[in-house]
This record gives sequence, structure tokens and C-alpha cells, in this order.
Amino acid sequence: MDVAVHGVGTSHFGRQPDRDLVALAWDAVREAFADAAVSAVDAVWVGTVFGPPGVAQRVLRAMGITGIPVVTVENACASGTTAFAEAHEAVRTGRYGRVLALGLEQLSTAFDGAIHPEPTDPEGRAGLALPALYAMAAARYLHLGTATPEQLAAVSVKNHAHALHNDRAQYSGRYTVEEVLASRMIADPLTLLQCCPTSDGAAAAVLGPAARDARHVTVRGVAMRSGQPWDHRSPHVWGHDIVRDTAADALAAAGLAAATDVDVAEVHDAFTIGEIVTTEALGLVPAGEGGKAATEGVTALGGAHPVNPSGGLLSRGHPLGATGLAQLAEIVWQLRGEAGARQVDRARLGLVETMGGGVSGLDGNACVITVLEAP
Amino acid sequence: MSDVTTADPRPLVRVRDGAARVAGCRCRACGEPVAFVWPRCPVCRAETAAASFGPHGTVWSATVVRVPVPGRTAPYGLAYVDLDDGPRVLARVKGDADAPLPIGSRVTLLESAEERDVQVEVL
Ligand SMILES: [Zn+2]
Repeated sequence: MDVAVHGVGTSHFGRQPDRDLVALAWDAVREAFADAAVSAVDAVWVGTVFGPPGVAQRVLRAMGITGIPVVTVENACASGTTAFAEAHEAVRTGRYGRVLALGLEQLSTAFDGAIHPEPTDPEGRAGLALPALYAMAAARYLHLGTATPEQLAAVSVKNHAHALHNDRAQYSGRYTVEEVLASRMIADPLTLLQCCPTSDGAAAAVLGPAARDARHVTVRGVAMRSGQPWDHRSPHVWGHDIVRDTAADALAAAGLAAATDVDVAEVHDAFTIGEIVTTEALGLVPAGEGGKAATEGVTALGGAHPVNPSGGLLSRGHPLGATGLAQLAEIVWQLRGEAGARQVDRARLGLVETMGGGVSGLDGNACVITVLEAP
Repeated sequence: MSDVTTADPRPLVRVRDGAARVAGCRCRACGEPVAFVWPRCPVCRAETAAASFGPHGTVWSATVVRVPVPGRTAPYGLAYVDLDDGPRVLARVKGDADAPLPIGSRVTLLESAEERDVQVEVL
């Protein structure tokens, strides 16, 4: 059965310690239900990372969603799109008719400051905070001459400028490359403006069978993989090969020859280097040209391959479990022509890529890639 | 970290014949070196045999962490080190963390400090 996204919704993104997860989730679900013109679903998949035990049922009961199957999944930063992938499969196979995928996270109350490295992981215990993991890839790119500091900064400049047109984003601004490089060093060579902020938020999508409907965005293909060993034999930096391989699966499922066939993409730019590696791994740009693409406007709004028109994780914020579905909502709006001042002209095909990490020795906990088509 | 009660997950460094080495294992089939004692090879699932690696290696990449991390004092240097004929390990860099260790630097493992980090210094 062909599957479509019938409606999407999100909360605002940002530090919102005074709001609870019920309020954040309700913002997303209320909007998604109204968008899909439905009042009930047959099952729910929820993605969250640091949500406490029972958080899914606790928020759903407050909006009258009870007595149906509710499943919570955790796949690090890809939890929201993992929930989406499972919801998609449930509809595709006919297991359920209409399914809600919900992502939620409140990081401002879960941590005092940034996310703590996981102490049960060898590298987490050794102090490898997430910025440091990406910094290792960035340092490698700089060492090999695959990217320059200015190219890294250009990703931040571009995505913060995109977010000027997204009133749900946590941050936006017209920065210069010099300002990005002069911001406080977090983990060399990544500066503050090259790192996504700590964020709270929720995002949701209602999935159902594809029908002739002017607002239904068709799911052309979904793929999910967990990482293979990443070690001294790996030819690429962390997180490259899993994106490349998952993209091949998703493009095959969608019947596309290459990622360059899509008109717009939301990708996992938790750190500037992430967007550079990902655009290369997806094949949106040639190997080694991710940084150049950011500098030359190839991946900017108006460029040949617009990436992160929403402002990306760098600007929208990164409430882990919510992020994947926030990316998905952006692509749905883009494909329906509803993205306002950040609209990509005549966008017919869109791609969402989410990458979750943190387990050492693996090339990612999970990567989820979805290809969507306009009504 | 003081608030953690689980077994320490970091690789174990032991001194043998005067040299610090990571006590891990090696795949009996494909030869994959692993910095831990695992029952099966992560690459090919074959059985493993105890093996130790070090003391020398080459820096694959490095950074300095300048943000607060529980139980640590920033800034501190970290490096991914490819041990000679061994696995890639994440190591704490001994000494002042003014700048990341240059990639390609030759380093040597140090006897584990009390905190049990894998630790290296430039040769
Ligand atoms: Zn093996």
C-alpha cells in the first residue's frame, strides 16, 4: 500500500523549561491532527531519547489518546524519524490504518547545560562529548584539506540566514564567516556558532494510505540502518558510510537514480561538519565538495541543491527525539508550497536525513532517510 | 565520575615488560583488533583471542574539549590514536591542552592514571 503524510505539526523550538512535555506535545499533535483533518489514530509511535519512562503514554492520555497501541523508540538523534519509519511500515503493510508518529524532548530540564556524555559507553566515560565527536571529523577534514575553517563556518552562516524566515526556530541571524570563527571555541575546530543549541520541542506527523488529495505528501521511500563497526580500517570519517549506505537504500525504494534528483533536503547539521559530510555521503555534492558547496551557495536557498531551508538543527535547535519529525514537517511544508519566504521554488521531491550517534566503535546508532513527493 | 556505579567501560591499560599496552582481543578469523575483551568479532562474528596492543601509535584526529563535562576539568585534550597493528582508541592527551595534538603525531601509551583513562603523550 502506498503511504502518505496526511498532516504535520510542531511546537516552537527553544529553551522552554517552564512548559511541560504535555504542552509541547499538544502543540505538535493538535496542529498535525488539524492539518490532517482527523481526530483519532489507530496507533502511535513515539521517539524520545531522554524522556522519562512512560512519557509517551503520559502525554498522550492528556490529549485523549488512550486504549490504542503506543510504542516508544529510542535511536539517539534519529529517534523521531525511527518512529516515522516504523509508523510508515505499519501503514504500508496494512497493520494499522492511520498512525501518529510523535517526537518529543525537553533537554533544558534534563541537563544542567549540554548533554552529558554517556558514562556507560567507553568513549562517553572518557569525556567524548558530542561536539568532540564531530570535532574529530572536522579536524580530519581540515588536516586533509578536504575543507577549510571558512567552509565550515559558511554552513553556519547559511543555515542561520535561512532561519530568519522560520519563526519557530530557536536562533537566526545574519552572521559573517569571521563572526562564526570568532565565536567561543567549544571543541577545536568547532566554535559555538557551529554547534546546535540545547532545545525543547515536539513534532508530529499523521500517516495513512495515499489517496487523491491535494494535501497528501506521498512517502516514496524510507530506509533505516544502524552503524557497522567504525575503526582504524574505516576509509571515511565517522558517520559518512552509514549515510551513504542508507541513502542507497532509500533512493532505491523511491525509484530514484541519485539524491541530486530531489529538489530540497533537510539533513543532520548538529554541527557544521555534519552537513558537509552528509551532503557528500548522500551524493548531493561530489566527494570533498561539501564545504565548497556551502561557500558557493550550491546548498543555499536559490542554489542548485538547497539544504536545510528551515535553518537546520544549527538554528531550529535540536530537541533530539523531536528533530527528525521537525525535519519531516519542513519538507512536507516545502512540498505543499507552504514554506513562505523560505520556499524552494517548484519543489516536487524532498529528502529527510537524520543521524543518531553516541555508541563508540560504530558508525552511528542509526540513520533514517526518507524521500517524499509533492501532492 | 563519582555518581556512576556500573563497571568501568574504558579499555584496560596494563604494563607488560615495561610498556603500557591495551588489553583487548583479536579476531581469530579476520584479524580485527579490538580494544576490549569481547566474545565475538564486531566485523565478522568469529571467535576472538586475548591480545594486547601498544605502546606506540599514530594520532588519527584530535581535539580539545573546552566545555564543562561532569567529572572533568576543561579544557582537556582527546585524540583518536591508531595503535601500531592495533585498534583505534580514544585517548586522553597528557599535559596542557592549549591546542589539539597534530594529526600524524607519534604517541605512546602511559600507565593508567587513577581515573583509568587511556592516556598518551607525544614520543
Ligand atoms: Zn573478524
